[in-house]
Amino acid sequence: IITAWIFERVVLFLAGVFAHLELLEARAYEAAVKQEETEQQEEKLARLRARVQQLRLQRDELRAKLDLQEKGVRKGWLQTSGSELWCAPALRGGKLTKRGVCFCISTAYEGTYLDSYHLDLLTKPEVQIYRHSLPTFIPLQQIAKKYLQTDIRRFLTVLSDHLNAYVGRRYQADQLQVPVAAIEGTLQRNSLCNLLVFNYNVSSKSKAFPFHARLLYGDLCCSLPTEVVVSCTRKRTMWGSVWAEMAAAHTDLFRHVALHKAFSSFSSVGESLAGAL
Amino acid sequence: MDETVAEYIRRTVLKIPRDEIKTMLQKWGFLSEAQLETVNFHQIKENISQDVVHLCEENSADIKQAAVLDIIYNHIYPNKRIWSVYQMNKRGEETEVFDLTDFKKKFKSRLRSALKNVTINFREYEDNAIWIRIAWGTPYTKPNQYKTSYVVYHSQTPYVFISASVLKSNLPLLCQALVVASNYHDIREMELRSHSLNSLKDIVFKRYSQNFQSYYPRPLQERNVAPETADLRIIQENKSEKERIQRLNREAFGDGPQPKLEFAQYKLETMFKSDPKMDVLDKKEPFRCLVKFSSPHLLESLKSLAPAGMADAPLSPLLTCIPQKARNYFKIREKKGLLPESFVSP
Repeated sequence: IITAWIFERVVLFLAGVFAHLELLEARAYEAAVKQEETEQQEEKLARLRARVQQLRLQRDELRAKLDLQEKGVRKGWLQTSGSELWCAPALRGGKLTKRGVCFCISTAYEGTYLDSYHLDLLTKPEVQIYRHSLPTFIPLQQIAKKYLQTDIRRFLTVLSDHLNAYVGRRYQADQLQVPVAAIEGTLQRNSLCNLLVFNYNVSSKSKAFPFHARLLYGDLCCSLPTEVVVSCTRKRTMWGSVWAEMAAAHTDLFRHVALHKAFSSFSSVGESLAGAL
Repeated sequence: MDETVAEYIRRTVLKIPRDEIKTMLQKWGFLSEAQLETVNFHQIKENISQDVVHLCEENSADIKQAAVLDIIYNHIYPNKRIWSVYQMNKRGEETEVFDLTDFKKKFKSRLRSALKNVTINFREYEDNAIWIRIAWGTPYTKPNQYKTSYVVYHSQTPYVFISASVLKSNLPLLCQALVVASNYHDIREMELRSHSLNSLKDIVFKRYSQNFQSYYPRPLQERNVAPETADLRIIQENKSEKERIQRLNREAFGDGPQPKLEFAQYKLETMFKSDPKMDVLDKKEPFRCLVKFSSPHLLESLKSLAPAGMADAPLSPLLTCIPQKARNYFKIREKKGLLPESFVSP
């Protein structure tokens, strides 16, 4: 009887051990699978990183090539033979038409493609603008007067700078007018988006600091303002010096950072300054 | 509240289609939501307008607020007026920075210095359009709110859209005030008129689709040609001719919708050319003739002439040049030079 009882105990003990071993095995298996997954992920990541490096190298190479092309002497661009004028159409996507060349200037801001504008030029008897789809407030006639006859590439570059800067400024102004915007009331702007006037609040520690900003973009080829005036919309209270510091900080910020980015960094500026009290 | 103001508000509300009255009053913002709730907008317009006038009396409306309601009405229904386009010229080369407050101040002061009895209201919209409403009076009478001129100006552009009222005599004054306020130095009327303000804007701001040939692919929505589900049993005999017409039409008019114009007028001052043997109109005087094309949508109808077989393609450049030359009133004189462009006088 005793041996049977001992035998039973031993069997039960072994069963428990086996169950435990199974459990451990299952766990070990899962751990191994997970490890393999992580290893695979890391491998993939390493591969993608290498690819990024490769693409970056390629991009740098192409940029260098483009630089060289633009700097080097390009005789093929514009040549006169007798009374005719012909253009190498490859530059800037210009396409030869019956009477001249048609260009498409694409604009982009912060990696987003925005509008495209077209320019149809006649080349005989002299280079002139036949028609275009540029907005009327871009000073096309002025730029043409300066560069069209003498240096077409410069003309296109300057025009492209104007257009790109304009869409950049317009993009920033549009961001301020979305319903969740940081400004109070309406944004006063104009067609070229080179004068923006608005009110905004910076709140920190349950205090709201009201500001009034006037941004003047004196350089039409630039999407950052040349002159910023930040003032207070209501009479200064005890927080006079803090307020002045904030105004100075904001002025600096608006001068150097795009508008929508400036607004997203306001909370941190406000907090740190108000915290100094 | 002034009786004239009450009557003016009443008449303005009567102009609005009944279904739109509530939204327009909300846009106006002069009456509170609570007040608007008390008005039954399903009764006849006469009664609605009376109710609105009572509410305005509670809030003591004055002519300035009434004028704002009028601007809102005209902004939503601009096609009830005829608009002319004017172009301003600048002597200098500097691009001035456009300051709205400055513009308004200069405009008001210039106008008021010449004529004290005017009501001037401004309203800005998101597309950078500044709407100006002017009610004209005389040196001895108060402004007549029913004789108004409207001006729509987009900052930093040389174009102004004017819907003058019956009092054409005030137009030079208005033009002068605009030129001074916007820092230009003169203004002239372009020969471009239509009921559709947006179409006029499309033409001068070059927002209509022109057919440019360039390497850059056009955005996808323009290339949305439906695939031809051709029945193979039907053979198009004139296929190549039809395609030629389509191609020429596309070159002339572009792919997109055309701006909406109602007329094109050609004043001919050319010599009548006849067979000398027939001895008709032998006098060496220009034959004066006026040709006017009218249509609810002139450019679309011109575009469909050639495909419908009613005209030969390509159409006369006198017809197809309308959006590009931004005019629909032409004077045609005798050809002096060899180029056909000199045919049409500026």
